[in-house]
Amino acid sequence: MANLSERAGLIEQIRVVSWLRWRILRNNMRNKNRLLDLLGLIFSGLFSAIFVAGITVALFVGTGRLLENGREQFLGLLFLGLLLWWQLFPILLAGFAPQFAFRSLLRFPLRMSAFYLIGLAYGLLDSAAIAALVWMLAMIAATAVAQPALAPVMLVVCVLFAGLNITMERLLGAWVEKLMAKRRSRELFFSLFILSMVSLQFLNPLMQRYGRALVPVARRWLPYLWLLPSSFAGDAVARAVEHQWGHAALKFAGLAGYVVLFTALLWLRYSSLYSGEELGETAAPARVEKRAATALPERKERLAFLPPQVGAIFRKELLYLKRNTFLFFGLVFPPMMLLFFSVQFTGAHPTTFKKGISPDVFFPGMMAYLVLILIAPSYNCFAYEGRGVQSYFTSPVRFREVLMAKNLTTVVILSSEIAFCIGLVGWRVGFPEAPVLFATLAAMVFSIVGQLTIANWSSLSFPRKIVFGKMQGQRNSGMSVFILLGVQLAFGGASALILFSGRLTGNAWLPAEIFSLLAAVSLAGYFPALNAFTDLAERKKEILIDALCR
Amino acid sequence: MPEIAIATEKLTRRFGALTAVDSVDLLVESGQFFGFLGPNGAGKSTTIKMLTGLLAPTSGRMSLLGIDFTEQPVEVKRQIGVVPEGMGLFERLTAPEYLEFVGRMYGLDKATTRKRGEELLEFMQLADRPKALIADYSHGMQKKLALAAAVIHGPRMLFLDEPFEGVDALAAGALKELLARMTERGVTIFLTSHVLEIVERLCSHVAIIKKGQLVAQGSIEQLRAGIASVEGRTLTLEDIFLSVVGQDADRAQLEELSWLT
Repeated sequence: MANLSERAGLIEQIRVVSWLRWRILRNNMRNKNRLLDLLGLIFSGLFSAIFVAGITVALFVGTGRLLENGREQFLGLLFLGLLLWWQLFPILLAGFAPQFAFRSLLRFPLRMSAFYLIGLAYGLLDSAAIAALVWMLAMIAATAVAQPALAPVMLVVCVLFAGLNITMERLLGAWVEKLMAKRRSRELFFSLFILSMVSLQFLNPLMQRYGRALVPVARRWLPYLWLLPSSFAGDAVARAVEHQWGHAALKFAGLAGYVVLFTALLWLRYSSLYSGEELGETAAPARVEKRAATALPERKERLAFLPPQVGAIFRKELLYLKRNTFLFFGLVFPPMMLLFFSVQFTGAHPTTFKKGISPDVFFPGMMAYLVLILIAPSYNCFAYEGRGVQSYFTSPVRFREVLMAKNLTTVVILSSEIAFCIGLVGWRVGFPEAPVLFATLAAMVFSIVGQLTIANWSSLSFPRKIVFGKMQGQRNSGMSVFILLGVQLAFGGASALILFSGRLTGNAWLPAEIFSLLAAVSLAGYFPALNAFTDLAERKKEILIDALCR
Repeated sequence: MPEIAIATEKLTRRFGALTAVDSVDLLVESGQFFGFLGPNGAGKSTTIKMLTGLLAPTSGRMSLLGIDFTEQPVEVKRQIGVVPEGMGLFERLTAPEYLEFVGRMYGLDKATTRKRGEELLEFMQLADRPKALIADYSHGMQKKLALAAAVIHGPRMLFLDEPFEGVDALAAGALKELLARMTERGVTIFLTSHVLEIVERLCSHVAIIKKGQLVAQGSIEQLRAGIASVEGRTLTLEDIFLSVVGQDADRAQLEELSWLT
């Protein structure tokens, strides 16, 4: 019989979990072996350090000034900023940073109390928490300088406020973890996130239009801020400054009440986890009634004009687009941005310029923007295939057909979006002169076909897997980004010069003629290139499979 | 003279300094249920990847069903079905959508694809959730679907990498029967599995690869005859495998774990 080891002590377990967290962070850095990733890491580290240092100085100066100038009643606003940071930043980070499934620790012999305390300790090691603790230290230091007698009060308030934030953040984190564990809710979360980010663009125009009407509404809600824990923290210090110890004690009690409440709620949440709550995708499968096999609904064959393999991949691409909330909502983005730009730059009252841009400039600019945004995914067109990419190599199909089907999907999407946006431009700004209109349309054919040819090469040569419904580390390879930027710059620059040549020579139709010629050349080069890419795919298949099947 | 389904000649694959598959000469006759065995890292998956077009050999030749793979890869692929390592599924499709996709990729018409897809889903007991995404399937369900996709076009040869891993006993039983019937109809099945009992029950012929080199090949009876029996007992495939691959190193390591035993 094997000898069982002694039960590990609580401190030792916390130490081991801290070590684990450090190793995860370190190993993630070690994987950054590519120069671009390393540079990104250095820049983000530098940026983070400057950001934290800047806020530290601001809070030190701000707290000191408030206390020196008798405006201590505004301390609550500083605590509100800390609260928002501490609670919201980790949630935003949950989508982007590598996550460790905290509940996986439950397979080890942990008592509930140990599990709870380790959870809190884990929360304290969060980057948002560390930054907030540094900022609170700055506030305590500022108090010690401005009003030394109050420093102990500020210290106690900060300790309580930190306790509140840790428990609240862990509680929110546990709920977010529950949300993110399910694929559908995870995707919905990201969709809402993307939509809210896009909607932020409209904040400025909306505020300009409705801002004044919102002021009385905001005033009506402001008094209720006293209910927030940050107000209790700020008021506790403010009352102590004024030597109103009774009121200060009440505010302390309020803040402590919050701490107790969130401690209890977190205990309940962790108890559920401890007792074996399952959060994964396969949790509690619903009982399904046995029923006769039903396949796809009967449909008329609409793609009979395509070779069957091209039709099959094209259909699959459309289904993937429909189910990829990230890409699907990405289609909403260009028309929304076009609307936004039309408000900013054109019309009788543009918000950016005094005089609106003419349709002759706005139309080609917007079309270039549309191509830029919508063609970008083609530079890593196998990103979402995952292990399915093996099917292309085991099926009796040449890569010529695979790429053709993928390009066809891109062209259909681009055409639909562009047609819709042309209508939108016509409605919002008006159409340009005929020579500019035709030159732009020909330029788009040249640019799309030319870029698709280069994008096919990029997709085969520098593939990178992107996981559905995940944002952490989900980006194209550095090389494909470089290629995309370089090609866009080259095409954009050349197109601008050609468009300008019309004005320079006084021949308004010259750009349309040049672009038509270029479009014909790029179309003529596209099909032979597909054959070359079939050979390239054969040579690159190991890279492709290795990158996408990880 | 029996038709040769798989013939490789000095098939070699190197990854830098490592030779994963070293001059392998495989010979598999049509209609055989062929088990391909070896310890972890021996070169099984690399070999099967080369035979199915997922990996290019460094050197050597291979022909499947009498067709040179390098010269006519599309023609070879048309006649084989594959369950690759990791299954190769498009997880954002539903099972009927995936089978329709695969059927069309193999050039089946829409009506045939639909009919076969329905029958296969029913057989694999996957017809209950036609709208569920493959991503939401359990591992065993995904395996069954990958098997369904591998046979939808009625291949003449089937490559199965660990086909029964994660599949429940009920479905595994039905699948084994299906595969056995396929071989009766002349389909060649090339299978890798770590479960030697399954290989012994299903396969008529086996090959064993060790450190990239083929160390045994033939019918189970032939291999059994080549090894001395233990106390008059009939040798199992496990006995043959351990004898060919060697187990001394493992025994020595077990000695070191005395605190656990």
